[in-house]
Amino acid sequence: MEVQLIKIEKRNDVSRSIYFLTPVLAIFLTLFGGGIIFYILGFNPIEALKFFFITPISDLYGLSELLVKATPLCLIAIGLSFCFKSNNWNIGAEGQLIFGGIVGGGVALLFYNHDGFYVLPIIILSGAIGGILFAMIPAILKTYFNTNEILVSLMLVYVAKLLLDYLVVGPWSNPEGFNFPETRQFSESARMPILFGGLRIHAGIFITLITVFLTWLILYKTYLGFQIKVSGLSLKTAKYAGYKGKTMIIIVFMISGACAGLAGVGEITGPIGQLHRNISPDYGFTAIIVAFLGRLNPVGIIFASLIVALTYLGAETAQIFLQVPKYTGQVFQGMILFFLLGSDYLLFFKIKFLGLKKNEL
Amino acid sequence: MNTKLKVSEISKIYPGCVANDKVSLEFGSGKIYALLGENGAGKSTLVKILSGVVKPDEGQVFLNNESIKLNSPLDAKKNNIGMVFQHFNLFETLSVFENLSIDSDKKNEDLRVLVNDILKKYNFKIELDIPVLNLSAGQKQKVEIIRCLIRNPKVLIMDEPTSVLTEQETDDLFISLKQFSKDGILIIYITHKLKEVLSLCDEVAVMRKGKVVSVSNTIDEKIESLANKMVGENINTIKKKINNFKNSKEILKISNLNFKSDDPYETNLNNLNLSLKKGECLGIAGISGNGQNELFQILSGEIITEGTSIMFRNKEIGKLNPRERREYLMAFSPEDRISQAAVPELKIYENVALNNFKSSNFFEKGLVNEKKIKEHSKKILSNFSVNTDNVELKSQFLSGGNLQKLIIGRELITSPELLVCFNPTWGLDVGAINYIHETLIQINEQGKSSILISTDNDELLKLSDRICVIYKGKLSKIMNADTVTAEKLGILMGGGSID
Repeated sequence: MEVQLIKIEKRNDVSRSIYFLTPVLAIFLTLFGGGIIFYILGFNPIEALKFFFITPISDLYGLSELLVKATPLCLIAIGLSFCFKSNNWNIGAEGQLIFGGIVGGGVALLFYNHDGFYVLPIIILSGAIGGILFAMIPAILKTYFNTNEILVSLMLVYVAKLLLDYLVVGPWSNPEGFNFPETRQFSESARMPILFGGLRIHAGIFITLITVFLTWLILYKTYLGFQIKVSGLSLKTAKYAGYKGKTMIIIVFMISGACAGLAGVGEITGPIGQLHRNISPDYGFTAIIVAFLGRLNPVGIIFASLIVALTYLGAETAQIFLQVPKYTGQVFQGMILFFLLGSDYLLFFKIKFLGLKKNEL
Repeated sequence: MNTKLKVSEISKIYPGCVANDKVSLEFGSGKIYALLGENGAGKSTLVKILSGVVKPDEGQVFLNNESIKLNSPLDAKKNNIGMVFQHFNLFETLSVFENLSIDSDKKNEDLRVLVNDILKKYNFKIELDIPVLNLSAGQKQKVEIIRCLIRNPKVLIMDEPTSVLTEQETDDLFISLKQFSKDGILIIYITHKLKEVLSLCDEVAVMRKGKVVSVSNTIDEKIESLANKMVGENINTIKKKINNFKNSKEILKISNLNFKSDDPYETNLNNLNLSLKKGECLGIAGISGNGQNELFQILSGEIITEGTSIMFRNKEIGKLNPRERREYLMAFSPEDRISQAAVPELKIYENVALNNFKSSNFFEKGLVNEKKIKEHSKKILSNFSVNTDNVELKSQFLSGGNLQKLIIGRELITSPELLVCFNPTWGLDVGAINYIHETLIQINEQGKSSILISTDNDELLKLSDRICVIYKGKLSKIMNADTVTAEKLGILMGGGSID
C-alpha cells in the first residue's frame, strides 16, 4: 500500500498585513459556506444571503438594531482581549454578564420608586462590580489553587443562569405580573437614555466606545499593557522579568468581568428594561468569536462586533422571510470561527507533502 | 571489509546562505575522521546529506566507487550508513529492547541474540528490559549506537556525541569508537571540540563557511593550529588572571538553602552554601539537569525562598522577585536566550524594556516612555557591538551571538554589582564566545562579581576564580580555579569524589 507522507511545519515570519486579512478571508468563506447551505435547503443562495446580510441593515431602524447588538458584543470582547492576550482563558463572560445584570437589576429594583440623575450611574456601577465579583471566582481559584480557569469560568455560567432563573421566578418576580418569570419594569430614571426617538439605540454605545479607547491606551501605551503583552507571548519571560503573575491574572479578570457586567447592565437598562430569563442571547459566548475575529485588537474588535451582530439580525430576517430557524445565526457564527481557526492554522503552519512512500507494515 | 566513502563537489544552497560549497572529501575504513567547524560552517548540512535527510543541489556521493542516491534516511540505512544524532530519538517509556525492535525487520528472538552479542563484544552494560527513561545519557547514546550496529553499518556518523556526556562516559565512548574502527567501520566524527579531535581522530577535515579549508593528519596538528583553521584568523586565547580575594568584601552569601520542588522533573536542592566576594567569578560546573536550572531561578528570584537564606550586600533578598532584585543591582542572563531572556516576537527595544529599573524611567507613571527606551537600546547596540542599529527589528531576526550580546548588554549597561549567567555561550560561534568571555572578564576587573553556571568546562576554567560542581542538587566543595583540572571536574560531575 502506498501512503502520502505529510509533514507540518511552523512558518517563521507571518506578514502583518496577511495576519489582519485572514479574518476577512474567513468572512468570505463563511458567506460562501452559507450560500451552499442555503442552496442545499432549496433557496437561491444569492437571494438568501441578501436577506441575511443586506436586508437587515437597509434602513435606519436596521442600522440602529445593528449597533444595539454590536454594543454588548464589542464591550465584552474588548474585556476578553485583556484575558486572551495574557494567556488567561476566561470562557465565562456570559456568566459575568448575567451576574452583572442580576446585581445591576437588583439595585434597579431597589430604586423602583426613586427618580433622579444618580440612579442610573449607581446601577451601572453595581453591574460592573457584579461582573468583577463573578470573574474573581475563577481568577482567585486559579491564582491560589491552580484550578483551570476554562472549566471554572464556563461552569459558573450555568450557576449564574440558574440564579437568574430562581430570582425572576421567585423572590424578584413582579407582584403584579401574573406569575410570568420576570421582574417589574425598571423606572424611567433607571433606563439608558435613548439616542434617537423611535430607535432602540441607547447611551450604552458611549460606554463601549470609551472602553475601546481606554483599552487601546492601556494595551499599547502603559506598563500594564506591556506586561500583558509579554505574559501573553512568554510566561517564562514574564517570570524572569519579575512581573507579578498573580496580580496580573486578577487584574485582567477584573477588567473582563467589569466589561461583561457593564454589557449585562446595558442590556437590562437599555433595550430590555427589566430582568427575565433570557437577558442575553449568548452574547458572552459569541464575544469570544468577536475577540478572535478582531485579532484581539481594539479597532479590529469594533469591526468584528458589527459583522457578528449582523448574523444576529440576519437570522431574524431570514426567519421571517425564508422561514428558516433563527439558529442559522449561530451556524454562521460557528462557520466564522471555524474558517478563522482554519485559515489561521494554514497561516502559521505549512503542510509539506513528502511524496508517496511504500507502507512496509 | 574495506569501505570507501567519497563525496564529490557537493553543494547545498539555502536562501541567503551557501551551506555547502563544492565540498569534496574522501574517507576510508580503519580510520576515524573528524569533521571540525564552527556553528554554521556547514558540517551539519553535509552530515544530513550523508544520512539522507537533506538532498544536495549538486554533487554526488560514492560508496565503494559506486554512486549512491540518498533521497531519504531509509536510503542511508539501505546503504549501511548509520547515524547517531546529538539529540536522541528514543521512546522514553518503552524498554530498551522495544526501542531497538521498532525499526528492525528481524524476528524478536533473533534480534535479542544479535543485541546480546553486540553487548558482549563491546562490553556494553545495559539492561534490555528497563524503560529508556531510567538510563543515563551515556547509556541512551549506547542504545542509539546499538541500533546502528544491528544493521552492520559500513559507515557510522556521530554528531557532537559528547555534549551530554561526563568525562568518564566520553572516555568510554572513545574506547568503543576505536574498537568499531578496528572492526572495519568507517567513523565520521562531527565536533567543535578541539581536544577530542586530537585524542580520538586520525584525520581531520576543517570546514569554514561551507567550504573544506583543510584536510590533515591529526598528528601534525595542535589545538592552536586547528583553532586558527576553524576560525580563519589568529584568535588570542584569553586567559584570566586569577586574583586573590582574601581582603575583598563579601557581597553574596547563601546559607543552608533548601529547595523542594513539587514537579518530579525538577531537581531538589539540598543544603546549599556559598559566598562570593567583590570582583570574583564563581564557576558552577555540572552536567545539565543536576539542579542548575533551579539554582539559577533561586538566584534570580524566579523561585522565592526564605528571606534570610540569601544575603546580598547585607540585605535579605530571598523573598524578592527578579525585578526587585534588580533594584539591588543584580542582573541575570538565563540559559534559554531565545524564549526566556528575550521574546522573539518583540522588537529589540521592547526586549530591552524587560530589564526595568525605577531609575531608568522606562515607564513613567505607568506610561511607556518609548523614546527613552529606544535611546537606551541604541546605546546597548553600539556599546556591545550588536550587528544592527535598528531598535525596531524583531529580535527573532538576530543571530544567536548578537542576541546574546544584546541580552548581556541589557543586563550590564546598568552596572550591576553581580551578574548571574547560565550557559552564556551555549551554541555560539567562536567569535561571539570570545566577545562574551572578554566582557565577563572585564566586569570582574571593574570590581563587579559574577556567578557563571556552565556545562562547558573549558569556559569555567578560563573565567572562574573559584569553581564548584553541582551534582544531583548538591554543591561540591568550592575550589580555587588554579588547583582545578578538567579531569577533577569530570570526576565530580559524574558523582565521584576527590580529596
